[in-house]
Amino acid sequence: MANVGGASRIPAEERLFSLVLALLATDAGLTKTDILSTVQGYRQKFSRSGDNANLERQFERDKDDIRDLGVPLETIDSPGHAGDNHNLRYRIPRGAYELPTDIRFSPEETTLLNLAAMVWREGSLSAESRRAILKLRSLGVTTTEPVLGYAPRVRVREAAFDPLGTALERRQVVRFGYLKPGESEARVRTVEPRALVQHQGRWHLFATDQSTSTTKTFLLRRIVTQVSTLATTFAPSAPGQADLALSELETVWNSNSAVVQVDEGTDAATRLGKRRGATVPGAGTLNLHYSDLNIFADELAGYGPEALVISPPELRDAVRARLERTAADHG
Amino acid sequence: MAKRSGAAQNPPRLAQDKLVFLLSLVPYLMDHDRVRVVDAARHFGVPPEQIREAVRLIGVSGIPGETATYQHGDLFDIAWDTFEETDEIVLTNLVAIDESPRFSAREAAALIAGLQYLSSLPEHADREAIATLSSKLSRGASSAPSPVGVEASETDSTLALIRTSVENGLRLEFDYLNSQGQRERREVDPLRVESIDADWYLRGWDHGREAVRTFRLDRMSTPAITVEPITHDPRDVPLPDVLFEGSADDLFVTLDVAASALPLIADYVPEGTVSSEHDGLVRTTVRVSHYHGLKRLIARLPGVATVVEPAEARAVVREWAAAAAARYLSPDAPDPTRREAM
Repeated sequence: MANVGGASRIPAEERLFSLVLALLATDAGLTKTDILSTVQGYRQKFSRSGDNANLERQFERDKDDIRDLGVPLETIDSPGHAGDNHNLRYRIPRGAYELPTDIRFSPEETTLLNLAAMVWREGSLSAESRRAILKLRSLGVTTTEPVLGYAPRVRVREAAFDPLGTALERRQVVRFGYLKPGESEARVRTVEPRALVQHQGRWHLFATDQSTSTTKTFLLRRIVTQVSTLATTFAPSAPGQADLALSELETVWNSNSAVVQVDEGTDAATRLGKRRGATVPGAGTLNLHYSDLNIFADELAGYGPEALVISPPELRDAVRARLERTAADHG
Repeated sequence: MAKRSGAAQNPPRLAQDKLVFLLSLVPYLMDHDRVRVVDAARHFGVPPEQIREAVRLIGVSGIPGETATYQHGDLFDIAWDTFEETDEIVLTNLVAIDESPRFSAREAAALIAGLQYLSSLPEHADREAIATLSSKLSRGASSAPSPVGVEASETDSTLALIRTSVENGLRLEFDYLNSQGQRERREVDPLRVESIDADWYLRGWDHGREAVRTFRLDRMSTPAITVEPITHDPRDVPLPDVLFEGSADDLFVTLDVAASALPLIADYVPEGTVSSEHDGLVRTTVRVSHYHGLKRLIARLPGVATVVEPAEARAVVREWAAAAAARYLSPDAPDPTRREAM
């Protein structure tokens, strides 16, 4: 035996690394017993005669952890034992594991990808972007120093993002309570997640409502209960769901427009005037697009007397009601 | 106007991260016949000791092999003497790994969505290049990238001007409206451009204040490049991690906030604040530099955030909202029925 034997405690990363190496090196695949009895980190705990239930559970968790990282761990039937679960063989097919050799990145592309990863340095996708960067560095490309430093950041603060992201990937049906503004109680929705998109700084779930078989867009901040994942799965969506969701939101944003009077030289005039798509139909007047009346009304109320909504009347009423509420709450 | 808490929320899943590091380090070492530990550490952006630890592990790892007993030839090997004596890495035997690993579906999705978000930066005017890069990431993923998308963040021509200012080494000047409503011409050496979701900020050395300041891009107007040379370099001016730092003159205000609205004020709650819950509301404290900023914040949260004290802050918010509401009553206000609803 080489210099690796005998260690009483093998760190988890050593066990996982050894498992990946062993499964990459085999074409025919290894049975579970092969793995548990021979692979570094398992073999030290393997009992030839006894009960290996704990070790088997460890192996199940390790498989999930490895697949989570994009390592394509697959199972194949043993020759002559088709359909026999006890004789399943595990392997990692090289072609599906390795980054194709025609996929390489220039220094400029690598710089851009570093920046793209930096966007997620907080919250849900931070682990993924960190690992993606390690894999990118693996290719050995050095980056170019940008002229101007950027520190871009997209935040995910909604608790629903993680369970929805997982369900999206596993194509599992989810259920949650959704509170629409103006309704006093949350309604339970059962939907098939299609995409998660951020539009105008807010996260949305694009999903198919099972009761009506129509696609709907839900604002994550209006999901008021925990997201539960059901055992039911659904057929894969056609590609391009995120783009579809964004273009639908864009259509809604385009079709909603408001006329707002702003006082010259105020914060409202400067900031609202810089909103995407803002036009100036007359002096001190702005034409603005918005995606959600209630959210836009909150934003406009923040400008206080600097902004006066002219139209549409629903928005005007909504802003006025908000201001009266705030004044009354502080009376 | 208030402190943003910057720390990452998710504790890294260590063993998985370490595994990715090992699987990434091996192909890098294979491509470099001999590499110094410090160079590898710089390349991966990790402490040298992390490289050494990984190399020690790689050097004793391998496959069970024919005999299922990890014989010498079944293991990676390194030139141990070189490693110990000159702190250089030379792989002398390779097993199992030939190439870098593919991206996972979520990793590819994170990078693609990040690219999408950044596609409006002046540097990335070449949309074609972004599309090519995204499709490379998709092909380089072990399964189809998860459908996660971010709208291209809207940036105006100011960003391009900031970049030109740095390129030419000349100060930038612009009119800036602070949150108290005061307008002033500011002269700034740009240090870094930052963003949070749809909001963009410039951090720069403010020559008038002789200090680092953070400016919202959407509050800047008539920006121009001056003839004055830039005197402050990002390498010499340490920028704190948080966008907005507290100051000794900050005011503390007690609020009652609906639990659902807490994330919307989280940036203003100082670290270590003790909050209490009663009647479904959370009583907490925010830190603001003045009540003018506070009134805008509270008016954006109607019915879900109320100032408890001090009384002066309540009054500022009340007057702000009441003056605005009054505009909807005054007889010279435009007739809302004049226009069709859109």
